[in-house]
Amino acid sequence: MEFKVRACRFNPETDEKPYYKEYTAEDYPGMTVLNALIKIKSELDGTLSFRRSCRSAICGSCAMKINGITKLACKTQVSHEIDKFGIINVEPLANMPVIRDLVVDQESFFDKIKEIKPYLLGQREDEAHNRFHALKEGEKISQPVYYKSEFQNLTGNEDTPNCILCECCYSECGGVVGNKNYLGPAALAKLYRYSEDPRDNDKNGSRLVGGSKPDGIWDCVHCQSCEEFCPKGISPVKAIVKLHEKSVKNSITFSAGSKHVVSIARSIGETGRLDEVKVAFESGGITGLINDLPMAFGAGLKGKIPPLRHKLIKDMEDIRLAYKELDLEDKL
Amino acid sequence: MLKHDVVIVGAGLAGLRAAVELRKKGIDAVIVSKVYPTRSHSGAAQGGVNAAFDENDSWESHFFDTVKGSDYLGDQDAIEILASEAPGNILELQSMGVVFNRNDKGGIAQRPFGGQSFPRSCYYADAVGHMMLHGLFDNVLKYKTKILYEYFVTSLVTDNGKVSGVVAYDIKNGKFEGIAAKAVLFATGGYGQVYSSNTNALINTGDGMAVSIKAGVPLMDMEFVQFHPTTLKSTGILVTEGARGEGAYLLNSLGVRFMSKYAPKAMELAPRDVVARAEQTEINEGRGIGGAILLDIRHLGKERIMEKLPQIMQLSIDFEGVNPIYEPIPIRPGAHYSMGGIKTDYNGRTVIEGYYSAGESACVSVHGANRLGGNSLLDTVVFGRRAGIDMAEYLKTADERKFDEKAVKRDEEAFEKLKKSSGKERHGLLKSELQEEMRADVGVFREENAMKKALDKIGELKERARNIGIDDKSKTFNTDIVEAFEFNNILLIAEVITRGAILRKESRGAHYRTDFPERDDSNWLKHTLATLDGSGNIKFDFSEVSITKFKPQPRTY
Repeated sequence: MEFKVRACRFNPETDEKPYYKEYTAEDYPGMTVLNALIKIKSELDGTLSFRRSCRSAICGSCAMKINGITKLACKTQVSHEIDKFGIINVEPLANMPVIRDLVVDQESFFDKIKEIKPYLLGQREDEAHNRFHALKEGEKISQPVYYKSEFQNLTGNEDTPNCILCECCYSECGGVVGNKNYLGPAALAKLYRYSEDPRDNDKNGSRLVGGSKPDGIWDCVHCQSCEEFCPKGISPVKAIVKLHEKSVKNSITFSAGSKHVVSIARSIGETGRLDEVKVAFESGGITGLINDLPMAFGAGLKGKIPPLRHKLIKDMEDIRLAYKELDLEDKL
Repeated sequence: MLKHDVVIVGAGLAGLRAAVELRKKGIDAVIVSKVYPTRSHSGAAQGGVNAAFDENDSWESHFFDTVKGSDYLGDQDAIEILASEAPGNILELQSMGVVFNRNDKGGIAQRPFGGQSFPRSCYYADAVGHMMLHGLFDNVLKYKTKILYEYFVTSLVTDNGKVSGVVAYDIKNGKFEGIAAKAVLFATGGYGQVYSSNTNALINTGDGMAVSIKAGVPLMDMEFVQFHPTTLKSTGILVTEGARGEGAYLLNSLGVRFMSKYAPKAMELAPRDVVARAEQTEINEGRGIGGAILLDIRHLGKERIMEKLPQIMQLSIDFEGVNPIYEPIPIRPGAHYSMGGIKTDYNGRTVIEGYYSAGESACVSVHGANRLGGNSLLDTVVFGRRAGIDMAEYLKTADERKFDEKAVKRDEEAFEKLKKSSGKERHGLLKSELQEEMRADVGVFREENAMKKALDKIGELKERARNIGIDDKSKTFNTDIVEAFEFNNILLIAEVITRGAILRKESRGAHYRTDFPERDDSNWLKHTLATLDGSGNIKFDFSEVSITKFKPQPRTY
């Protein structure tokens, strides 16, 4: 069966802006979008540029937008796309500058990975097991003991170490759309991966502190795209939420985002109600409050004025019980 | 021109491991790679990495299994190092952040692998290569290592017999760059793209080996190509040996576990050369199913499959349309690994002073005529580390040398000439013809006349390659021109493989001659060394095999 591929083309040497070029190819059973692109490049047009390497969904090279959705070209079947859309539109990833055609500049993405200290911290270098040792005849080696349970969040099929850094999540991330400096889901999932490692010894919590600064874990907008578009079934947003919990539990609450969370919890714990004025003040301080004034004014005009004093709700006892159950009493 | 103390070409496991060793000592080492490091093919390794940890296991047993697995062509002094340093290397990796699955006692979990007399393959589900690659990459970031990514290395440069650097093409902007160094490591991987139906990444085009032989460094034992017994029928994508380690069966069209005929004791866990031949025999004798046989893991049960083999479950669904929980997977042998490569000693040194190689691109040789599963990841870290240490030592006494800028000009001109060519041949199509010819005639079973036919085809392709046309005249991310150069590299490597295979008139390990079906220790217990003569023709020399502890014996499983 013949089908059409419509590829987004752009060469900065000759083109002012991107354009689309259509190719016709012949389908075969099991053909992937990557197979189609390779066929087009080798038989029809050698100028079509894209990245590729393993063709088995483990190297992360060939992420691109296929019919508008970020995917790995190597694991996307041509027949599925044709059935749904009748054509194969391919475009480069978003949230990164385009170098040429389907090739984007990954520099900012990888710079952000570096920022989160993606390695074990504070290990004792003198520990016998960390030193290399070649065995002599008849000699056995002893191992450090770590139980399965200690790695339970790092050894599941869909746990964060399975991330292949393909940038699908980053391309779809709502947080990066709003703020180019936001670290993004892949880097933060990696931050979570190392913070969960039983061998990590980050005594002063420097990695979590770093991640709590502006552009870090509190800048996630919870759009869930990272989870939806991950080709490996990982959920960076769940990892980010766990990092929120971790930082609050470890009293790393200097950021507006964490103050916001703590303040909401406190407000509910006190009266069972959300005291919006107080939460705004406690999260953002005076400046935050002033920044919120126009919005408050607008809400006032529509008759939405929060009460100045909050009465306790009827079921306050249940809330206290729930807080006790969740060990949140000390956060109030 | 750039200048560093060490240039590491290739950012898979061997390259990254060497880089960590050098950067830990504060040495100015730069990594040069034609892809971003995490795209390297080491990441696709699935099943395991071998090391003797158990009380009832020993590194000496690992040593012997590897010697026997190599069909006695592996150098025993090097294999002794591989086995005795294995546990230390794995623990060191673990302390760097690599995660391995655990056993109930709190140690590293281990699974059986082919040709190993004890379950000694450490794993992370079925993605241990991915885990190790990303773990080492993170350490390279920790030591703030400079990475020149998407640079394609075109030449090795020497000065008075000593290495003085490399020439590289910056794919992003089309500029050539000289990178001067006192030590150079090639950790450039294998050449799986020589064959159609291979498990390898599209980037595995034997570039480092091709550049080396052109620089006068011998390639050793290149006729030994490993065909992996279990690759997906339609794509050649790898299905880990770990599946058989977990208990998978191989079935023919009659539903019979045919391995009982070929390796009655080891069955499915015989070494890869034995299993690949058994499968091909079944297929050739009409007991295959559409050119494939079946890998059955249904009896392992859903839970165990999901826990231990999640990646191959997903790959079977995505690429073969088969859910292995309910159906057996159609598989066939596919080109997988290069036992041969750039001749090095066990510190990674080559015949050129200051020039090193490690990993699949190198031939130490620890794999001899056949590599055992789980030994290649081990090879990368053991010898990547040793090369790193040796380079650090070498730098202490290495003198200054001149980097000849003319080398940069020469490569630049060759590129420009090729780019301007408007010939009619398309390198992508020539590549397919080469791959198909190599699969058909220099594959699992080999025979003189068929291989001579392959040689004729290679000759024809060399002629036609002069007439390659390049569509892309641009400087920005021009992969058309890079692929043309890669094609020339696999064409050269294919010729070295074929000539070596014609020369070696015996059957040993993965090299099986139907016209010489026996191993011939009196004439062929030796390494072949390929070099180029003045006019670019391939010639062969031989070198001795190191035999220290284990005298060659008949090899049965």
